[in-house]
Amino acid sequence: MYRSDFCMAGAFRDIFLFRDYLRLRALLLLVALLAFSIYLMRFFQVISTYPPSFFGMPSAASLVGGVLFGAGMVLGGGCLTTTLYRLGGGSMVSVITFCGVLFGGLASAALYPYIYSFAGSTVLFSNKTALEHIIGGAADPVLAAFLLMIFLAWGWKGKRTRSQTGYARGYLAPWKASFMMAFVITALLALSGRPLAVNMGFEKLSGILSATLLPSVGEKIPYFHLYSPRLLYGGIMDGGAGPAIDSIAISQLPLMAGIAGGSFISSLRLGEFRIKRLPPARQAFSAFTGGMLMAVGAFMAGGCNLWHIIGGLPVLALQSIVFVFGVAGGSYLGTAFLKKQVLEGWRKGGLQWKTRLKTSSST
Amino acid sequence: MEKGGIAMENTTEDIVLDIRGQICPACLLITLSELNSNRERLTEASARLVIKTDHRDATRTIPGAALAMGYGVAVTQKERYYEITLEHKK
Repeated sequence: MYRSDFCMAGAFRDIFLFRDYLRLRALLLLVALLAFSIYLMRFFQVISTYPPSFFGMPSAASLVGGVLFGAGMVLGGGCLTTTLYRLGGGSMVSVITFCGVLFGGLASAALYPYIYSFAGSTVLFSNKTALEHIIGGAADPVLAAFLLMIFLAWGWKGKRTRSQTGYARGYLAPWKASFMMAFVITALLALSGRPLAVNMGFEKLSGILSATLLPSVGEKIPYFHLYSPRLLYGGIMDGGAGPAIDSIAISQLPLMAGIAGGSFISSLRLGEFRIKRLPPARQAFSAFTGGMLMAVGAFMAGGCNLWHIIGGLPVLALQSIVFVFGVAGGSYLGTAFLKKQVLEGWRKGGLQWKTRLKTSSST
Repeated sequence: MEKGGIAMENTTEDIVLDIRGQICPACLLITLSELNSNRERLTEASARLVIKTDHRDATRTIPGAALAMGYGVAVTQKERYYEITLEHKK
């Protein structure tokens, strides 16, 4: 991810901002490959429960959550996963986004009764969690074929969409990253029996921090005392956002550490690691706000983009389909706001900005 | 350059844009804004835009956009950052 700068926020944002489809194309390829591999695992009975029981019923909360998450990931400079791998590369913007996510996790936990009630009262399809429940047949091979067709069609459209040269050392083309990620994610899914996610890991960090730094606040939030059974590694284990060692602590926290640690090693090997500068105030504000919105959005939608786009979309989970529509809309709104923020900041040019723009003559 | 026996100097001004610490899409948006506001000088080859960035993706997006606009691009890795030079295509 670090070497290709694989970014789902960029996949949505770039189409609205630059009409650049390169990243979206790589994302479609990844989803198509996963739809194929999951169908094969289902065919060979590697996956026992299908459609997966992890996804809930779609509701207006999935859509609103998607909108908030989409806007947040554009403002934050990347989704939760991108924030982690850029953090490993020393990005201060990502540190700010990370803090925003933790704060948003705390706010979401406090609002849990209201969000839960909103999701429960706005269910769109009762007792239906996947498209298969509606159309009555396996739809994932059709989805994979459809996405591959779009991927190939865009390949013929033009060189700029097909590939772009990355001049950074060790650059990996996004489509190659899609193949590598599809392989790793399929292996992890077969091993753990559960799609990847990091949003609960972030919520757990919020829970741990509130229990450590603000115990009087953490104790009063019921969500941090709530643990529910989860299917993991073929067994059932409790998991929640509280500070206990549970299924979240042994699955999502190590994944988060692995993503950040992997990119740290990668950036060291490429001679790029350093603690980077702080961004201008407007961008820092956007990053913090974006982090908060992502946390609240993922909380409302019952999962982050990793969970819904990489985990739910390949199996056509209805909740994930609704979430993706929300993410697209939110990305559009976030892009419009961010463009204004960045360019206004640049045009007004604070003192810090002006001193950075200097001229010199050479013969 | 020699003209009528008199040595003429070609002076190119470097407009240095230090956007280290910033990430996408700010890197590309700011670069495009500077390319537009300095278009005349860049086209006349009296100036070139030198961008310092430590955001890896900017080494893909900025050269891609500049090449599409007809500029010449050179990218070099410096001490923990990249320097992208955009100038009029010779």
